[in-house]
Amino acid sequence: MSVSNLLENWSKFRHTHPVDDKGYPDWEAYPSDIKWAMAIDLDACTGCNACSVACYAENNLPVVGKEKYSHGQAMHWMRIERYWDESAGVGEFGADKGARFLPMMCQQCEAAPCETVCPVGATNHTEDGLNSQIYNRCIGSRYCSANCPYKVRYFNWYNYPEQEKVWPEPLNQQLNPDLTVRTKGVMEKCTFCKQRTYTARNNAKTEGRQVQDSDVQTACQEACPVGAITFGNLHNPESQVAKQWQSQQVDLTKEVQEKDEKEGNRLRGYRILEELRPYPSVMYLERVRESAV
Amino acid sequence: MKCFLRSLTLLVGLFFYASSHAADALPTLTTPDDVGPVIEQPIEFPHFRHAGDAKDGGMQINCMYCHTYARRSMVAGIPPIQKCIGCHQSIESVRDKPRIQKLFEYWDAKKAIPWKKVHDLPDFVRFNHERHIQRFYFQQDRPYQEVCGYCHGNVKAMTVAQRQKPITMGWCASCHQKDHLVSANSSKTGHGPNDCFTCHK
Repeated sequence: MSVSNLLENWSKFRHTHPVDDKGYPDWEAYPSDIKWAMAIDLDACTGCNACSVACYAENNLPVVGKEKYSHGQAMHWMRIERYWDESAGVGEFGADKGARFLPMMCQQCEAAPCETVCPVGATNHTEDGLNSQIYNRCIGSRYCSANCPYKVRYFNWYNYPEQEKVWPEPLNQQLNPDLTVRTKGVMEKCTFCKQRTYTARNNAKTEGRQVQDSDVQTACQEACPVGAITFGNLHNPESQVAKQWQSQQVDLTKEVQEKDEKEGNRLRGYRILEELRPYPSVMYLERVRESAV
Repeated sequence: MKCFLRSLTLLVGLFFYASSHAADALPTLTTPDDVGPVIEQPIEFPHFRHAGDAKDGGMQINCMYCHTYARRSMVAGIPPIQKCIGCHQSIESVRDKPRIQKLFEYWDAKKAIPWKKVHDLPDFVRFNHERHIQRFYFQQDRPYQEVCGYCHGNVKAMTVAQRQKPITMGWCASCHQKDHLVSANSSKTGHGPNDCFTCHK
């Protein structure tokens, strides 16, 4: 590749998502008719971890074991964070005793802090609004993980398939063939089940139509017993996720949402750490259960 | 010292200037050096006899008669032995040829033929046959031999298939950067995806 070509490509992918004069994302100039987004209803979530298990199965995630987990080397792309309401007493009975659950995975930020710091451009933005992680380009500097405000990037400290033997025969047969099995020294994170979204896009394209809600479900969404997770194309006004964002008046380009701007309204939609302005693609719906108070 | 630095900067600049132009003027990437290794298959399958032109003694069978999945899946697929037998059980004239006898040996032993992969991509690359066939064969209405030949070379003249194109990322990207017609009866053009995610999953 010639140098001029290299520079041109570099600036091109840095500007995949154009910004307006004030530095806000410019949706008029959005390059694609797809923007994958999610909504998670915390009122429905019971913290059962089914989403996390489904993610392990779908995305070839290694189960690292107790010792490595205690070193903070777990590879759960989807994790359930627990927050305790101490006035209710920190207890062993879960929600009734004041536990609050928050499913946390890569928020697929539009202005992702991880993207700007990668020294080799292994993580960048795709046209359909995903924050991509390219394993074969990653050199394992872990800079992205350090800069991620949500701490949802996971580093392969070990060669799990071969040295750690996390999938001994015949368990290797359960690996998902649509995904790479990552090896030592690369960063990885939630991809919004891109093997599924790309299949959905591919099929829709062959049939000459737009992607619909019925085309694709992420693994966590599929596994959620209470249907707390909604996933779809935010640019399609007919999609469930777009309707939810709309009804909560959550705007992708804003860092303070209606819910917090005005007192006394009944809106529940917010995004985590919005004030940092990464413009995440996951909207959470605040919990309203009486027992939680 | 200053003079040295100045000339150094000039030299480096000249080098980059020259190299960026040298790359633009590169010849096409298909040279004899790029021909892949000769692969010995269990049966020396004559592609030229099946897919070759009639004037060369070929049957002009569509590639996708045997490699069925190319139009509807990521992979093109190697035909099961049933597909070979399906035709060959009623072609008596070649029944005594050594290759056909070998074929029937596998059939009688109820064994799959252990074909070897010729176009083997690394595990971190997902090439999608369906998209390319849909785009160039169905939408642009080009001849299948040309469409498959973009990547697989002139298979209709080969016996056992051999890799003819480099099949490297730069080579893929060189075509993805070009403007291609969207369909046969439209003047609209578009180029291939530039997302890393499309191929690296």
